[in-house]
Amino acid sequence: MQSEQSGNAEGDRPNQLTDSELFLALRAGQTSALGALYDRHAGLVYGLALKVLNNPQEAEDLTQDIFLNLIKASYAPQRGSLRTFLAVLTRSRAIDRVRSRNRAVDFLERARPGMNQEVAANSPFDQAAQAEQSQEVQAALAQLSNEQQQVLRMAYYDGLTQVEIADRLAVPLGTVKARARRGLIKLRQTLTDYVG
Amino acid sequence: MAGSILPEHLELIAGYVLGNLDAEEYQAFEQLLATDPTIAAEVDQMQKAWEFSNGIEEIAPPTHLRNAILQPVPDQVAVNQAMSATPAPTPPLTERVKTQWFSWSRAIAATAAAIALAMSIENYRLRNALQAARPDGQAAALTYQLQGAKPGTAATALVIVNPEKLEAQLTTTNLPPLPPGKVYALWTVVKQDAPVTVDIKGAVLTATFTVDTSGKASQTFLVPPIYRSEEIVTNVAITVEDAAAPQKHIGSPIVITKS
Repeated sequence: MQSEQSGNAEGDRPNQLTDSELFLALRAGQTSALGALYDRHAGLVYGLALKVLNNPQEAEDLTQDIFLNLIKASYAPQRGSLRTFLAVLTRSRAIDRVRSRNRAVDFLERARPGMNQEVAANSPFDQAAQAEQSQEVQAALAQLSNEQQQVLRMAYYDGLTQVEIADRLAVPLGTVKARARRGLIKLRQTLTDYVG
Repeated sequence: MAGSILPEHLELIAGYVLGNLDAEEYQAFEQLLATDPTIAAEVDQMQKAWEFSNGIEEIAPPTHLRNAILQPVPDQVAVNQAMSATPAPTPPLTERVKTQWFSWSRAIAATAAAIALAMSIENYRLRNALQAARPDGQAAALTYQLQGAKPGTAATALVIVNPEKLEAQLTTTNLPPLPPGKVYALWTVVKQDAPVTVDIKGAVLTATFTVDTSGKASQTFLVPPIYRSEEIVTNVAITVEDAAAPQKHIGSPIVITKS
């Protein structure tokens, strides 16, 4: 994904710059880097937005928002993978939108119980999302220790930083990092069939 | 394949995908990426594993969305002005498409910009290939010597730019190693009214980097086309910034060209 995805909307475009290089180019004023970044990652952003928002129009709006504001996003290559950053950002913004949408609905029409099933509160939504996980993913996750599953879940589904996780679990930051990394390495090895 | 990569390297790769590398680890990761050709593929696989395990599936958005996002791009000043407020919910896409964004001339300009980028990348690659076959010496290199901004600073930096390739080589001495979360940023300061987007200090963020324990850094990076019009660049400077948001430009120059 970093160096191989090709975007062909307007013909051949050599996409051999890394995400970091494209992002820094965008920041440094080379606005045409946005097209290359869009071609690589719009599917990720839109797919996530659609899954959470369950509405193509709103998913398009959010995708547009994220890419138009990418140049000033609080991302730097030292933070890690741009794709991970985009995924976490998209999910978080999409959940915010669902919550505002639900508040608006609640205000305008007294909601019947069970009407706002997308996001009732943090955990029920995430539990529902996790229940949708494919069997392959569940089987792969089962290979991890409970602690490893826990930190990975907290980092993505709860949107917590490593520092926040360390705080909540009352363990050192290094422990959180090691658990997350080893958990991911284990997942990568288990999912070789799907991932390559 | 994952089996042939060292466990400590797998940890760095996993840390990168998870976004939990500290500054030192990130430097080690960058070096690894630059020196070991098998690492990039493993990063891709690790990234896919992360996405797959989180139930993330890519879905291609409708084709009109690309134009809606990229059409305003050639006019970066207008985009910057529009985005200078904090991100706010945008009006429904259909309205914008009808009243504002749809414009064939913008679509053509965006395509031209994309092709220009593609061509400059391709030229960069071709020139690299040619350079392997014959010695350098065609474009006159631009040299920027950076010295301490305050008296008593022992730090120095040298930036050598190849304006044809838009490639620069940075070497530094005696720059203090930084605490985690901080990074050095290289800025290009330009004349007023230069045809490039600048921040409020009149600078363009050009590169970020870290130094080794002896205060040395040595790396190459791409520079924007402003370096082809040498008279536009008035200064080059290095500051200390937050690694998470170097563009905020909160630091003052540690080293700077004497003008």
